Amino acid sequence: MRIVVLAKEVPDLEAQVRVVNGGAALEVEKRRGLNFFDEIAVEQAVQLKQAQGASVLAVSAGAGTGVEALRRALAMGAETVLLVDDPALDGADPLTVARALAAAARREGFDLVLAGKQATDDEAGLVGPMVAELLGVPCVTGVTALEMEGDVLRVSREVEGGRETLRVSLPAVLTVEKGLAEPRVPAVMGVMKAMKAQISRVTLEELGAVTFPPLVLVGYSGAPARPPVTMLEGEPATVAADLARLLREKAKVL
Amino acid sequence: MSAIVVMCEARGDDYRPATYELLAQARRLAAGGGGEAAGNEVVAVTLGDEAGLKSRLNGQANRVVTLTGDGLAPYSADAWVDVLAAFLGAGTSGNPAAGAPVAAARLVLFGESARTRELLPRLAARMGAWAVTNAVDLTTDTGNIAVRRPVLGGKAYAVHAVGEGPVLAAFRPHSFGADAVGGLATVTEEIVAAPAAPPRVTVLATEIGAAMRVDLTEANVVVSGGRGMKGPDNFHLLEELADALEGAVGYSRAVVDAGQAEHADQVGKSGKTVSPTLYVAAGISGAIHHIMGMDTAKVVVAINTDPSAPVFGYADYGVVGDALQVLPALTEEIRRG
Repeated sequence: MRIVVLAKEVPDLEAQVRVVNGGAALEVEKRRGLNFFDEIAVEQAVQLKQAQGASVLAVSAGAGTGVEALRRALAMGAETVLLVDDPALDGADPLTVARALAAAARREGFDLVLAGKQATDDEAGLVGPMVAELLGVPCVTGVTALEMEGDVLRVSREVEGGRETLRVSLPAVLTVEKGLAEPRVPAVMGVMKAMKAQISRVTLEELGAVTFPPLVLVGYSGAPARPPVTMLEGEPATVAADLARLLREKAKVL
Repeated sequence: MSAIVVMCEARGDDYRPATYELLAQARRLAAGGGGEAAGNEVVAVTLGDEAGLKSRLNGQANRVVTLTGDGLAPYSADAWVDVLAAFLGAGTSGNPAAGAPVAAARLVLFGESARTRELLPRLAARMGAWAVTNAVDLTTDTGNIAVRRPVLGGKAYAVHAVGEGPVLAAFRPHSFGADAVGGLATVTEEIVAAPAAPPRVTVLATEIGAAMRVDLTEANVVVSGGRGMKGPDNFHLLEELADALEGAVGYSRAVVDAGQAEHADQVGKSGKTVSPTLYVAAGISGAIHHIMGMDTAKVVVAINTDPSAPVFGYADYGVVGDALQVLPALTEEIRRG
C-alpha cells in the first residue's frame, strides 16, 4: 500500500506578524515548521507503515519553502519526500496548491492520501478535500479514529453534536483531526538523517499542473483592538453583581 | 443581475441560526444602495430532507430553490456535490420545466460547519470556483463585494474582492445579525435532480453526544474552563453558568490534554474556533493557542487568580479571583435576572 501525506510548512504559532506596505503585505517572522495537523497525518502514515508494510511519501508545495516540513516528516519516519517548488506557488490560490499536490500524488501513485484537517496559518481546510475531488476519489474530513481491513477503512469523525462512524474503500483521501494519533518525537538519528537527506524537487510545469488565479487582495489589517479591559476586584458576590450589571447594561449581551 | 446564494443547513426541525444570519446579510447587501451587490437576487437553496422545511424561508429570500431526488436524503457528500455543482455551475436551474432560470451565482454563502468543510472545497474544485472559509464579514464598503477573514490565527485580517465570481464563502457563526427585515415576496422553485451516483462513503453509525445540548461553535454564549477549575469535580460550575445563560461549555487545551474533557469541547488552535456574543474564560491563563480560538468573541470575561495572566489582555471585563467562587456567584446573579 502506498500512502501519500500532504505536508504544509507554516509559520510557528508564536511567529510575529506585521502588516506592511500600507496593508499590501504581511511580514511574518521566519520561524517555520510542519503544520500541527499534518504532523498527525505523518504519524498515522508511519503507524500504518509499521503495521501493514505501507510505503510513505510526504509531499509539500511552496515557493522556496517546504523543506523544513519535509525534513520533519522524514525524521518521523516517512521514507521519501517530494517538494513541489515553484515561484508561482507564492500567494497561490488553494486550488493551485491542490492541483499541484494532486498531480504529484497521481504521478507517484497512491492508495491513501492523508492530510491535516486544516493548516494552522490560514485555517482554511480547503486543500485536502480539493485534492480528493481532483483525484476523483472519496474523502472523509476530520478523522479521529481509523481501522483498516484490506482496502476498506472504518473511520470516525466528530460532527456537530456527535460522532459518526463511516466506511470507505481505497483509494481515498482522509483529512485528520487531533486525537487520531499522537505525533512521535523523532529520534536523534532520524533527525540527523533527515538533515542530510536530498530533497527531490519538481515544478508545476513538470507536473502538468495549471495555476488558478488567486482572489484579488484588497488589503491586510491588524487584528481589531479590544477596548482596554475593565478590571473588577472584591468579594465574589460583589464582583459577580457588578459583572452581571455591566454585562446587562453596558455590554448589553444578557 | 447576478445572485447571492445562501446554502441552507438545518438541524432538527429548523434551519440553523447561521442560515438566517447569512440570509439577513444577503438581503442587507442586495437592498443597499450604490454598492455592486445592490439589486442582486437573494436565493436560498435547500436540499434533501431539509427541503421539507422550506416554508420557514418565506420572506427570507427572493427565491427558494429546493433540490430533491434519489440519493440526496440522508445527506451524502458525494451526492450533494454532484447535484450542487450541476445547479450552481450551470447558472440556471438546468431544468427548463421548473420555471425561470436562476440568476448566475456570483457568490454562494455557507455557514461554517463540519458539512460545509466537506462540501465547499470539493464544490470549488469541481466547479473551478474560488473558495474562502473561516470568513467573518461580507461588506460593500468600497462599493465592491468583499470578504474578510482572519489569517495567521487572527494576528491579521485579509480582505478579498469577490469580483465576478463564482466565490464560495463560509462564515463563522454570529458573523452577522439575523435582524434584517425579511418580508420579500418569495418564489419557490422545486427541482427534482437526476439520480446521483451511489455514495462512496457509507455511514455505519451516528452517536449523538448527550452532553452537547447547545453546539459549541454556534452557541451565543460559551463558558470555558481551564486548569484554574482544579479538575472535573468542579466542572458543574461551568455547566450551571452555561445553563443559566443558555450557552455551551468549552475547555482549554491543558484540561483536554490531561484527559479531563473531550477534544470535541476544546476551544483553541487545535480545537474549536468559537465566535460567541459572550465568552467567559474561567481559570484560563490565555496562552496564544487558546486566544486564537476565541478572539472574535464580541464580549470576553476573564476570571483568573493571577492579575498578570495574559488572558486579561484579550478581555473586556477581568475578574481577579478564584473561578470556583466567582462562577457560582455569577450564576446566582444571572438566575436572579
